Amino acid sequence: MSESAQPEAADAARRSVRLPRPGHLPLPFIGGALILGLSVFVAAFPGLFAPYDPLAFDYNAVLQGPSAAHPFGTDNFGRDVLSRVIHAYTIDMQIAIFATIFPFVFGTAVGALVGYAGGIAETIFGRVVDAVITFPFLVLVIAIVSVLGPGLGNMYIAVGLVGWVFYARITAAEVRVQKRLDYADAGRAMGYTHARIIFRHLLPNAITPAIVYWMTDMALAILLGSSLGYLGLGAQPPAAEWGVQIAEAKNFMSTAWWMGVFPGLAIVVTGLGFSLLGDGLAELLRTRR
Amino acid sequence: MSLLRVRDLTATFGAGASRLTAVNRVSFDVAQGEVLGLVGESGSGKSVTLRALLRLLPVGGAVSGRVEWEGRDLVTAGDRELRAVRGRQISMIFQEPMTSLNPVLPVRVQIEENLRAHTGLRGRARTARAKELLDLVGIPDAGRRLDEFPHQFSGGMRQRVMIAIALASEPRLLLADEPTTALDVTIQDQILKLILDLKDQLGMSVVLVTHDLGVVAETCDRMAVMYAGRIVETGSVTDVFARPAHAYTAGLMASVPRASAARSVLHSIEGTPPQLDRVPPGCAFHPRCRFATDICRRDVPALEPRVGERLSACHHADAVAAEGSPV
Amino acid sequence: MSETVLSVEDVRKDFPITRGVLERLRGRPQRAVHALNGVSLEVKRGETLGIVGESGCGKSTLARCLVRLLDLDGGRIVHEGTDVSGLTGPDRRAFNRRVQMIFQDPYSSLNPRMSVRQILTEAMRVHDMRPAAEIPARIEELLDLVRLPAGSADKRPHEFSGGQRQRIGIARALCVEPEVLVADELVSALDVSVQAQVVNLLLELQERLHLTVVFVAHDLRLVRHISHRVAVMYLGKVVEVAEAEELFERPRHPYTQALLHAAPSLDPAQRTRAVAARGELPSPIDLPSGCLFRTRCPHAFDRCVVEEPALTPRGTGHVAACHIDAPVFEAS
Repeated sequence: MSESAQPEAADAARRSVRLPRPGHLPLPFIGGALILGLSVFVAAFPGLFAPYDPLAFDYNAVLQGPSAAHPFGTDNFGRDVLSRVIHAYTIDMQIAIFATIFPFVFGTAVGALVGYAGGIAETIFGRVVDAVITFPFLVLVIAIVSVLGPGLGNMYIAVGLVGWVFYARITAAEVRVQKRLDYADAGRAMGYTHARIIFRHLLPNAITPAIVYWMTDMALAILLGSSLGYLGLGAQPPAAEWGVQIAEAKNFMSTAWWMGVFPGLAIVVTGLGFSLLGDGLAELLRTRR
Repeated sequence: MSLLRVRDLTATFGAGASRLTAVNRVSFDVAQGEVLGLVGESGSGKSVTLRALLRLLPVGGAVSGRVEWEGRDLVTAGDRELRAVRGRQISMIFQEPMTSLNPVLPVRVQIEENLRAHTGLRGRARTARAKELLDLVGIPDAGRRLDEFPHQFSGGMRQRVMIAIALASEPRLLLADEPTTALDVTIQDQILKLILDLKDQLGMSVVLVTHDLGVVAETCDRMAVMYAGRIVETGSVTDVFARPAHAYTAGLMASVPRASAARSVLHSIEGTPPQLDRVPPGCAFHPRCRFATDICRRDVPALEPRVGERLSACHHADAVAAEGSPV
Repeated sequence: MSETVLSVEDVRKDFPITRGVLERLRGRPQRAVHALNGVSLEVKRGETLGIVGESGCGKSTLARCLVRLLDLDGGRIVHEGTDVSGLTGPDRRAFNRRVQMIFQDPYSSLNPRMSVRQILTEAMRVHDMRPAAEIPARIEELLDLVRLPAGSADKRPHEFSGGQRQRIGIARALCVEPEVLVADELVSALDVSVQAQVVNLLLELQERLHLTVVFVAHDLRLVRHISHRVAVMYLGKVVEVAEAEELFERPRHPYTQALLHAAPSLDPAQRTRAVAARGELPSPIDLPSGCLFRTRCPHAFDRCVVEEPALTPRGTGHVAACHIDAPVFEAS
C-alpha cells in the first residue's frame, strides 16, 4: 500500500507545481538553463574560478597574449583578463536582474489593470506609451543617467522609469484578448472580484509574452549596462565589468585583441543563454486548450 | 447511368508511423440529376472525402483509389486534365463563404474571373452573364451589387455569391461542403431550396456534406452515412430513415430531439467519435454500440447488401433494422 | 410551478458603435446596435424556459443580462421581489450564487491553466459553501453528479473532450448550489451524439436538484424537447411565449411559423420546396418602424408599418405580438 502511495504522491506533487517530466522539457530551455545556471553560479562564487585577483596590477606582464598562465591574456595594467571576465559575471548578472525586475513586475501589473479596465485608462496609457517609444530607449536612459549622475544604482532607476512601459504594453494587449473569453465571464458570473479575475485568472494566461520578453530584456540590459559602462556612465573603473573592459580595450584593438574579444564573447554567450531560455519558456508555458 | 463512380477512395495524411487514414476505401456512385448526402459527425471523413474527389487536400495528404468521371480517373489524371475538370465540370462551395471569397475584390471581378477561365464570354456579354448569375441565385438589385465587396454582403448573401461563382462554368456536378452550417435556420432553408431549384434548372447533380440529418431528410435523394473514415450505410433517404440498417445510423437518428418524446431521455450514443489515430479494431463503432458482439470487435464488416438491397456495414444489420425507425 | 423567480421588465440593451476621431469632429451622432428593445419575460420556479431565435435576436445578450454580466440600458430584472439590475459587490455575489450560467464554448469557458479541482475549489471557497476539509469530498460528489470519470479532478481542461468540458462547466455552476441555471447554447458546439448525452444530463439534474433552467438555443428541436415554456425572440424583442407543445402545435406569430417551417424535419415525406421566410434580418442599427418583422412578413399590412404590436393573450399562457389575431394563418 505504502509503495504504491509514494509514486502517487510524487505524481500529485508534480501536478501541483505543473512541471513536465525532464524528458519532455524543450531543448532550448535545457540549453538556456544550463548556460544561465552556470553563469549565476560563477557570479555568486567568482573566487572559485578566477586564477588571479581581477584588480591586481602586474607591470611585468602587460598586454600579454593568451598563454598557459593567462588563458585570455593580460591587459594594459597586467591584470588577468580571464579573472576580470569571471569577476564581471557578478556585476553583469546583477545588472540583468536588477535592471529588469522592477519593469517586469510593475509593467505586467499595470498592463493587466489597463488591459482589463479598457476605456479611458487604456487611451491615457496609449499616449504614455507613444511618448516613451518616440525616444530611442538608449538615448532616454543616457539622458536620465546624465541628470542623476553615473553609477549602477542610477542606471537601474533610469531603466526602471522607462522599461516598464514595454511590459505593460505587451501584457495589456494579451489581457485584452483574454478578458473576452468566456472563462473571464464565468468568473464574473461567479461573483469574483475584479482583482481575483485579473490576477488569478487573466494574468497567468496573459503573462507568457511578458516573461519571454523579460528574458530578451535581461540580455539587452547586459548590453545596455556594457554600453553605459563603455561610456563611463555605468559601472566605474577599475571594477571588472564587460562594458568597462571593452571600453578599456578600445585603444589596444590592433595590438591586444584579447582584451576586448573575451568580454565580448562573455556577453554573447550570456545573451544566447537568455534567448534560449526565453524560447524554451515560450514553448513550456504555451497554453493548451 | 452514373455520372461519378468512386471506388476504394482512400485519403491519408502524413507518412510512416504517424500516418493517419482519414478516408478508408470509400465507394459510391452519383447518378445524373441526383442529390447525394454525405452525413457524419466531426472526424468521420465526410469533408475529406469531398475534397479528395478533386484532390484538394492540404499539404501532406495523399489520395488513392479511383474517381471515374467521364471515362477518366481523376486520381491519376495529370494536373492539366484535372484543372479542366475542377471548377468547370465539377464546382465546389464551402461552409464559410467569407474566407472563400477574396475580401479586396468586388464580386463582379470574382464571378467574371471564373467566366473568363471557363467560358468564351467577353466584354459586355461577360458582365451581363455575371449579373444574370446573381439574379439566378436570388440576389436582389444584382446590377448594383455586382460592384460591392464581400464584406457588404450578409452571410446568406455571400453564400449565394459563392454559388453564383460555382455555377459560372455551368458545372454538371456541384460539391457542397456544409454550405449552410454557418447560417441561421431561415437562411439555411432559403439556400438549400435555392440549390435544389438550381439543380433542376441546370440539370446538375449535387453531393452535399452535412452533419445534420434534418438537412439530409429535406434535400437529398440518397444518403451515405460515414463513421471513422468509412461509409457504414448507404441507400435512398426514404428507406434509411424508415428503417436504418446500421447501429450508428439508428443511434444518430435517436440522438436528434423529437416532438413526440418531449422532456424524455434521448437515446444517445455513449462515448465520443474516435480520433483518427485511435480507431478501434473491427467495427470502429463497436465500443459505443449496444448490439456489439465478439465478431464486431474482431472483423471489419464489409459494406454489402444486408437488408434487402440496402448496403450496410453492420454485422447485426438485421437486428438493427428489425427495431425500425427511431424517428 | 407558478411562482415567478426572475422577472424581466422592459429590458433594453444597446452596444454603442465606436466612432473615429474624424466622425466625432464632424458631429456624427453616436450610433448603436440595438440588441434588446424592451424585453419582458417571467421565469417560473422549477420550469425550463426555452429562449429561441436566430443570430442577432438578442437571446445571448438577454442571457448575459440575466446573470448580470451586462448592465442594462433600460428596464429592470427582479429576482424574488428584489431589483437586481444595479447590484454590486457582496450583494451581486450573493445573487450570482443563486443564479448561475453555463457557457456555449467548451474551449474558452474554462481557464486552461487551472485543474478541475482548482476551478471548483475556488468557487466554493469564494462563496463559503463548505469547510475546507469537506471540499475534496464535495468535488468527487459533483464530478459523479455530472458523470465525469473518477480521477478527473486533477486534470486540466485540454485533457477532456468537448462534451466532458461542458460537464465541467455544469459542475462549476452547480458547485455553489444555485436555484437558477442560465444555459447559453449549451450543446451547439458539440456533435449530435454527444449533444444528446449532455441534454439528458441537464434533464436529469433539473429533476434531482429542482433547478429552474433558462435554456437559450437556436435549435428548435432541442428547445422543444427540453422546455416547459418557450419564448421566441426576433431583433431584440420577444414575439411569442407559450407552453412548448402549444407553441409548436399552434404557433400564432408569423415569425414563429417561419422558424418552424424552416427547421428541417427528420421525415423525408414532409419535404416542401416552398421557402419558409423570404428576405434577411434588417440591420439592428436602424430598426424598421412599427412591427420589427414586417419587412419579411408575408401577412404585413399598413398598420404593421406604423404601430408596433404588443404581446397580447392568445389563449391560456399564450401571448403573441402580432396585429393579426387569427387562430392559424393560411399555410404559405
